[in-house]
Amino acid sequence: MDIRIIHFYPDLMSLYGSYANVAVLKRYLEGLGNTVKVETVLPGQEADLAGADFLFMGAGTERSQKAALADFARFGSAVKAAAESGTAMLFAGTAMELLGSTITDDEGKVYEGIGLAAFTSVQGKKRFAEDVYGATGLFPEPVVGFMNKCSTVSGVETPLLDSLSLGFGNEGEKTPEGFHWKNVFASELTGPILVKNPRLLDAVAEAIYRHRGETLPEERPVDRWAEDGYAVTAEQLKLRCQSK
Amino acid sequence: MFLAILVCKLGRFVGKLVGKGSSMPGKFALKICPDILRRVQMPPQIIAVTGSNGKTSTVEMIAAILRADGKHVVYNEEGSNQIEGVTTLVLTHATMGGRVKADVLLLESDERYAKFSFQFFHPTKFVITNLYRDQLTRNGHPEWVYDAILPAIHPETELILNADDPLSSCFAVGHDKVKWFGLDKCSVSADAPTGVYHDGAYCPVCKAPMVYDYAHYNHIGAYRCTKCGHAKPATDYTATGVDLENGTLTIDGDVTIQLAFRSIYNVYNILAAYAACRECGVAPETASGVINNYILKNGRMQKFTLGRHHGTLLTSKHENSIAYDTNLRYVASTKADCAVLIIVDAVSRKYFTSETSWLWDIDFDQLNRGHVRKIIFSGRYCNDLAERFSFTAISPEVWSVQPDIAAAAAELKAQGGEDLYVVTCFSDRDKLLTLPDVKKEAL
Repeated sequence: MDIRIIHFYPDLMSLYGSYANVAVLKRYLEGLGNTVKVETVLPGQEADLAGADFLFMGAGTERSQKAALADFARFGSAVKAAAESGTAMLFAGTAMELLGSTITDDEGKVYEGIGLAAFTSVQGKKRFAEDVYGATGLFPEPVVGFMNKCSTVSGVETPLLDSLSLGFGNEGEKTPEGFHWKNVFASELTGPILVKNPRLLDAVAEAIYRHRGETLPEERPVDRWAEDGYAVTAEQLKLRCQSK
Repeated sequence: MFLAILVCKLGRFVGKLVGKGSSMPGKFALKICPDILRRVQMPPQIIAVTGSNGKTSTVEMIAAILRADGKHVVYNEEGSNQIEGVTTLVLTHATMGGRVKADVLLLESDERYAKFSFQFFHPTKFVITNLYRDQLTRNGHPEWVYDAILPAIHPETELILNADDPLSSCFAVGHDKVKWFGLDKCSVSADAPTGVYHDGAYCPVCKAPMVYDYAHYNHIGAYRCTKCGHAKPATDYTATGVDLENGTLTIDGDVTIQLAFRSIYNVYNILAAYAACRECGVAPETASGVINNYILKNGRMQKFTLGRHHGTLLTSKHENSIAYDTNLRYVASTKADCAVLIIVDAVSRKYFTSETSWLWDIDFDQLNRGHVRKIIFSGRYCNDLAERFSFTAISPEVWSVQPDIAAAAAELKAQGGEDLYVVTCFSDRDKLLTLPDVKKEAL
């Protein structure tokens, strides 16, 4: 297949290796014999979302997030239509908040999100920076990652992670985390979560295939280093949970 | 106040006997007298240094220069840079009447905690070396740290700022007393920022795109916002010439010094220390005399031998991609065949985390050089390093994985005699340096 990935604001929303989510997905899809084209969108730049297979936006600072939102609002209708039709997308870190109905900053100023989902985000003066170990209904293996945010997210009815044994979720410690609806994946976990979680990478790729009416092949290249890295981190976080 | 000082002095005395840290006596003193730092009589000069990188080195050089100028300097050599440690330092050097016996109080100050110390007193001079991605597991991100430092800045404090850093230079906005240090375009400059990510792509003030006339490393250089006018200012203390190959630095066109360590970091740290001391009235020749060929005592670089290998350990601070980039740039700049050992075993020595996202911010492709013959990853997170390297242009023939640090050292010892560079953090360096086959050498 020819697969089109659209990467929104690769410099503005780029904290802590966010780009690697696109890099690892591209390599994975190419390993399955696909041709993958990544198109980047900068603020003010035109983009045609029609026919895109995957949309991505990474984490940014709270100020960068507002700048991204100011530009991204023009794509709101197209992104919602794409989501409704089953296009796969990942909004990671602070980018997740853009999908909701509002973002309230630490001074109380309210920004309109694109309203793909009804949840609301409220940012504060306290930062939640900590390891996360949780469970998703998408696959049996635990999800690992790192939370780095200053907000609480309310009103998510379909979280990506149903429960956390460690770390800060949408509304507080050990609460469900992220958002998942149709083929929309969103999580405030920072950095390259698709590298850190090979099963989540499978799930995203499967969503891309599903939207194309295809089935993800059973035989897939194994990324040994990612698998081994995941195993070590999962073990460390599990031990951490047990010691707490 | 008397009781708080007494308890602190006694606590410090006992602590030294039993080898305990330096923050506990201050903690007790603060319980007895919470505003003790307001009550004591501080020296005429209080210099604080903060920033993501270079604090310890800059403070060490400032102390050396000021002492050479005849000043009695008290500073937190042990690095206790939160309010409790600062309290211990101040009270230990105070008379029982509360007068600090020094000409200069010099403080290495934690970025996020400076506001707590400086609510009771304020520095006369505040050096901010830079602000960039560092310890995300504590600090969040650079703008979060910027916001945390802001309340620590008193209107009467003279700021000494890095003109080449687009973020920390914002501290000058609305502040009257500012002196700038920075580097002119020189032999190390590139036309545009380098690295895996570009934190200078957008203006920290208005988020409009920025352009660069040149960059010295990563996004540190001559930036200009296309919208609001935020730009590198004219500098008061300027590196007018830098030749890392021959190890020379020229300041303000007429002060030339030799660099004991040929790194762009060292250049900035020297310049920051020079600027601070000159602002304290130190003559150029006194300052340059001290920092000429100055070898830092804080041990971030360590020479050693391992079998037939001559080794250099470059301490890189995990979770700090620019520190890694700088050391990788140094390795890339060497000419002789070499091996590189990268160790990520404990991400931090102070707290637990399994977070390795920061590896993706490091420009490991800098090691894609013919003379880098072999790269070994070791430690608990060696697989994460391998995964990261699998996205570089470096041939998989060059790199390999050995989780056990001792086994990695044994493997190196058994083969070859090329130069060896070890890139790792404080949290992991002794796991190599204490191995029996590793023989430390004086610098």
